[in-house]
Amino acid sequence: MSCEIEQDLTAFLDGELPELRAKQVEAHLPGCPSCAGTLSLIRRTVLQLAALPELSPSLALRRKVMARLDEPSGLTERLRALFRPAVLMPALGMAAAASVAVVLSVGPESRLDPEQMYVAMNMEMLEDFEVVGLEPEDVEVVTHLHELEALP
Amino acid sequence: MEVDEDAELMLRVAAGDKSAFAALFDRYQASICRFAYRFVGDQARAEELAQEIFVKLYRSAKSYRPSAKLKTFLFRVASNHCLNEVRRGEYRMPHVEPHTEEQEGADGQAQHASGPDQALEGKELERAVGEALSKMSERERAAFTMCRFEGMAYRDIAFALSASEAAVKSLIHRATLAVARRIEELQAGLCPARSQA
Ligand SMILES: [Zn+2]
Repeated sequence: MSCEIEQDLTAFLDGELPELRAKQVEAHLPGCPSCAGTLSLIRRTVLQLAALPELSPSLALRRKVMARLDEPSGLTERLRALFRPAVLMPALGMAAAASVAVVLSVGPESRLDPEQMYVAMNMEMLEDFEVVGLEPEDVEVVTHLHELEALP
Repeated sequence: MEVDEDAELMLRVAAGDKSAFAALFDRYQASICRFAYRFVGDQARAEELAQEIFVKLYRSAKSYRPSAKLKTFLFRVASNHCLNEVRRGEYRMPHVEPHTEEQEGADGQAQHASGPDQALEGKELERAVGEALSKMSERERAAFTMCRFEGMAYRDIAFALSASEAAVKSLIHRATLAVARRIEELQAGLCPARSQA
């Protein structure tokens, strides 16, 4: 229904097309009312977006962020902060280390119980998640895995 | 020059300088809040996301290389964070309540009085954009926001989204058209006379 030029119209308007392609689009426009119409619609819209109301972040945000900077961050740091000196099970490697750290960050006082061992054994699940850093919520997912597994 | 200044600040952050981090925060908080807001459509949630994004930026200072612009690096952190949150079901776009024809008509009466050629403004425009954003894919939404509200180049958006420039080009095109059509629809609702012409 529409020509293949159509898909390049936004990039054309944004000045993001290679020179040669931009020239082709330019040459095409006078003979194609459909593309010319779409281009002017896009142009109008982009201009209109400038009229959107501005947001103002709350003043509390800065304070909250600055206050969180000293929280233990990486897994090793969290571990170090909780276990000093750290006593790890080397055979389980990073997965175990990670689960211990995360479990302890949820409840630092607790010892490893069967549920936490379960977490340790299911760490690969977390590693499959494309998470940059593990968070307490990640652990919740894993600690409730057995509920999922109970399903047929 | 701003880019070098950013890189320098970030190097100081990596060395543990919190005042350097505060300077970066001040420089980019509006951008990140806006990005997060456009992403989730709710200001309180957007601030939570922004908070987490900045904490992640702080923690990743050591992995920053001045070869990438800091803003691009920051938006990569922000995009990853927002996309992950959505994937985990933490956040949903709330305002998908495409308003009904009756409402449009009623609103339209009031608006129409101020002139038939009037374009959508303020709250109406906000609603149109919010509705369109809530219906598109997360990647379209992220690409659109970086392009239209941050003025980022396609190449930088591609880096932020770990996508090809060709992919970004089509994400932005589809998203821009979706927003354009939603604005048009609402505008037609406000100015019925014009839509028939
Ligand atoms: Zn055409």
